[in-house]
This record gives sequence, C-alpha cells and structure tokens, in this order.
Amino acid sequence: MALAAEAFMTQLAAAEPWPENAALYQQLKDEQILLSDNASSLAVQAFLQMCNLPVRVVCRANAEYMSPSGKVPFIHVGNQVVSELGPIVQFVKAKGHSLSDGLDEVQKAEMKAYMELVNNMLLTAELYLQWCDDVTVEEITHLRYGSPYPWPLNRILSYQKQWEIRRKMKAIGWAGKSLEQVLEDVDQCCQALSQRLGTQPYFFNKQPTELDALVFGHLFTILTTQLTSDELSEKVKNYSNLIAFCRRIEQQYFEGHDKDSSSSATSRSAKRSLLR
Amino acid sequence: MAAPMELSCWGGGWGLPSVHPESLTVMAYAKFSGAPLTVNAINNCWRAPKGEVPILISEDTVISQPAKILNFLRKQKYNADYELSAKQGADTLAYIALLEEKLLPALLHTFWVEAENYCSVTKPWFASRIPFPLSLYLPGKMSREALNRILLTRGGPPLYSLTEVEAQIYRDAKECLNLLSKRLGTSQFFFGNRPSTLDAFVFGFLAPLYKVCFPRVQLQEHLKQLPNLCRFCDDILSCYFRLAVSDPALIISLQMDDNLRKSPQHPPRKLTTLKLAAGGEESSPLNRLSP
Repeated sequence: MALAAEAFMTQLAAAEPWPENAALYQQLKDEQILLSDNASSLAVQAFLQMCNLPVRVVCRANAEYMSPSGKVPFIHVGNQVVSELGPIVQFVKAKGHSLSDGLDEVQKAEMKAYMELVNNMLLTAELYLQWCDDVTVEEITHLRYGSPYPWPLNRILSYQKQWEIRRKMKAIGWAGKSLEQVLEDVDQCCQALSQRLGTQPYFFNKQPTELDALVFGHLFTILTTQLTSDELSEKVKNYSNLIAFCRRIEQQYFEGHDKDSSSSATSRSAKRSLLR
Repeated sequence: MAAPMELSCWGGGWGLPSVHPESLTVMAYAKFSGAPLTVNAINNCWRAPKGEVPILISEDTVISQPAKILNFLRKQKYNADYELSAKQGADTLAYIALLEEKLLPALLHTFWVEAENYCSVTKPWFASRIPFPLSLYLPGKMSREALNRILLTRGGPPLYSLTEVEAQIYRDAKECLNLLSKRLGTSQFFFGNRPSTLDAFVFGFLAPLYKVCFPRVQLQEHLKQLPNLCRFCDDILSCYFRLAVSDPALIISLQMDDNLRKSPQHPPRKLTTLKLAAGGEESSPLNRLSP
C-alpha cells in the first residue's frame, strides 16, 4: 500500500519541472537552529546547489512542526513537501536530476554505506552533544531551542525534545557513553571519511554526489560552530584533507550565493557564534 | 601470552554455534583472528544472564558490547584486519553502519516482534535457556526492548502505524541485502581471501536469518534468492565452525552409540566414526567431517 503511494508521488514529481520558487525551510538561523539541524539543512542546500537547482532558504520558528516527518529541513516545491536528505534525493531524481547516475552498483552500495556511517555516527554524536551533555544543554541548547516562544513554552518544548532524544539514545545504547567515548567515535568516523577521500577532490570520481553534500554539511557546521568547548571541531581539524574538501565545496558552490550567509565566514578561523 | 578468555553468550541451534547475532559476530571474529576463547553458552543454571550478552571475561576485565570486545581482542594482538588497507578499514566501518541502520531493525522484528515467530520460536528457545523464574520475564523484556528500539529509531511521522513501520523496515532490509550481495559479488569474503571484521559482522547478522526456521519468513525468502550471501554463510560455517570435541551434545550422542553397540539386541553394525579435529583455528577446507 505504501509502495503504491510512493509510486504515485514519484509520478507527480516527474510531471513538472523544477520551479523557480522552490523554498527550503529551516529554523531561525541566528537564534534558534541547533548544530544537528543546521548540518542537515546545509547538506540539503549543498546537494541542491550541486544539482544546479535554485532554492531559497526560508527561516521559520515552527519549521520542525511544519515538516511532514518532524525533521528539518524540508523543501516546498510546486505543491509538494519533502523532508530530509534521503527522500529529497529521490524526489529530485524523479524530476530527472541525479548526481549518482554515473556510479556502478558497487559504488552505489559504498555510497549508501558511507551515508549511513555519517548518519549513524556523526549525526548521533551531534545529537548526543546537544541534548545529553549537561554543560552544552544548559548553556546553549535550552537557550536556543525555544527562543522564539515566550516563557514557559520555551522551556517546556526544550525539555520535551530533550526527553525524546534521551529516550532514543537509550534505545540505541548511546546513553551509557561518556563524552570522551562519543568524541572517540567522531574521530573514528572522520578517520574513515578521510581515508576514503584520500587525495581525491570528491568521494567518487571527480564529480560530487549526495555523499559529498552530506559530509560537507556536517563537517562544515562542526568546524564553524562555536560550542562550549572546541573538542568536537578539533577532532575534525586533525584531518587536513577533510578541511580542504570543505573549503573546496564552499568555494565552488557557495561563494557568490548571497542568500547563504552561512558561508560568509569563509576563512577557517572565523567562527560563527551560536551563543546568544 | 594472553590470559585465558571466556566468552559468555547465547548458545546455538539449527546448525549455528549461536542464535544471537551479536554473540555470533564475536565468535566468528575470534575464529577468524585465532583468538583462543572458551565459549560458555548460557544454559539453564543459576548463573543467569545479567545485563548485556555477549560478555568477555579475561582475568579481571569484563567487556560487554561486540565493538568493545573486538577492540579488546585487537589489542591482545588477535587482529583479523591486519592485511586490510586504510580504505578497506574505512569501508568496514561504513558497511557495519549500514547493517545496523538498515538490517538490524528488520532482524529484531523477525525475531522478537513478529507475533508468530516470537511465540513459536524465539520465546521458547530463550526461555528454555534461562532459569526459572527469570524465564517468565526476560524474553518479554527483550521483546519490548526490540519493539521500543524499532519504534524510536524508525517510527516517526509520516509512518503512523506499526504496519507502515514494518513495511518500511523490511523494504530497507531487502535493499540492504541487495547492496551486500552486490558488494560481495563472486569473491569468497568481502576483502580478498581472508575474512575480516566486516565478514564477522555480516555473518553474525545473516546467519541467524538464514538458518533459523521461522513460520513467517519473508526476509529469509529474500535472502535465499541471493545465492552468494547464502554461500558466504555456508562457507564460514563449514570452514570455521566445525563441531569441536568439547561439544556436549556430540559427546552424549557418542556415548549413546557405545551403549547401542554393547546392547545384545543390536547386531554389530558398521560404526560410523566421526573424524573430529580439536577446536578450529585457521583450517583448510579440506578437513571436513568424514562419515
């Protein structure tokens, strides 16, 4: 039954070309958005840039609630709304644009595996840091997450989300991990990505794929976000080819794109502060 | 050398040394890397399984999750990834993440959540190996934890009912199996001719799915349509997990053979002797059980 619904959606998607007024929704950039959501949003933006599809970024305080899956970012194209990178990639493919068509079967399997690695380790580590590390939660997350709303709603929403994320962490076995162990995992993940990237410009051939967009989204956000301590970004900085990779993508796809102010800090040292 | 190491894990059945994916992964890795482990299958005695299974006990250290156990074995110089290149090591991590994200939910569902499978196969099997009264409680708890995990990780909107979540996780699992099959191709193991950590994980996840006889078997049917993955499991079972002399079930059956032989009612018949080798380290496929 769900398969038929998907096929129907794909047909709908294929029917029209990409419109000019496509919009990508995320939370408020300067006051509200958190590390993990920012990373996901940047990954989608990078992917759409790589496909040469114009999209404008719209910031709304209730983006999370508008999204069909509860997660940001989501795109509003024509009369369809699609959220998260995976479904967006499929949606864009149905419209006839794809970055991974040139890959053979084994490479496609590898690409999917590496995307799962980023989701499994990097994204989960970001969520852990934001919601389960008490210092970060107190100083950054609680202040930012509900900031557009009045008291007491802001605290309630924040605690609710924290409870939800902590339940999930417990279910997958991350609740028992200490911060050092999580940072170790991040290091392992970055090492794997660095070894896979090697000296190539992108992960597969000379053309970027959705994996490049995803890795860029996460790594760039980690590098340019100021948290209570620098440990997370230090882990990424140990790998110079990953930094060069981020800079390359930023220069190629985001320079000159004036709407995207996340790239305004072009040099590595300038950090965008997430603290209020 | 290294201190003696003991692995406490769930036992075997249906031709497998263990029915539990994580226990099987650790046992497979130990065989691949030549680590001398004494395997203690949890059976119906008072030493009930507490907390996580499998558990490795070496002198005073107790280590519990498969990833940590494998790390410990590597530190003790039992390393099955010695010949892998850096990129292959990175690929290993990526594929393990793929298994955990895409295949594990469906595996948990097949074993613990699917009502027919759980009631007729999983619960009786586990309950028979846990001492009373824990046997009344622990399988139910494991089942609830599995369902919880599936719902929390995969059950958000736009999937609003358990049937939709089930459909999605089985679709993902079938796609994962297809990807693994494409990656394995025609080679014997995932990286060349020697098995490594990735082979241990893939074997640990696939073999229970392949061998355990369930009433509801949609994922098993799909797996059987991928002959290279089935061949992969069978090869590892026959090369690395031949029956060892210490297998108590086998000793009992040997004794029974002796008793039958001495009984006057049975005419002396040609005794089938089983040629057994002691605990399998790197063994050539030529040494098989001969009738």
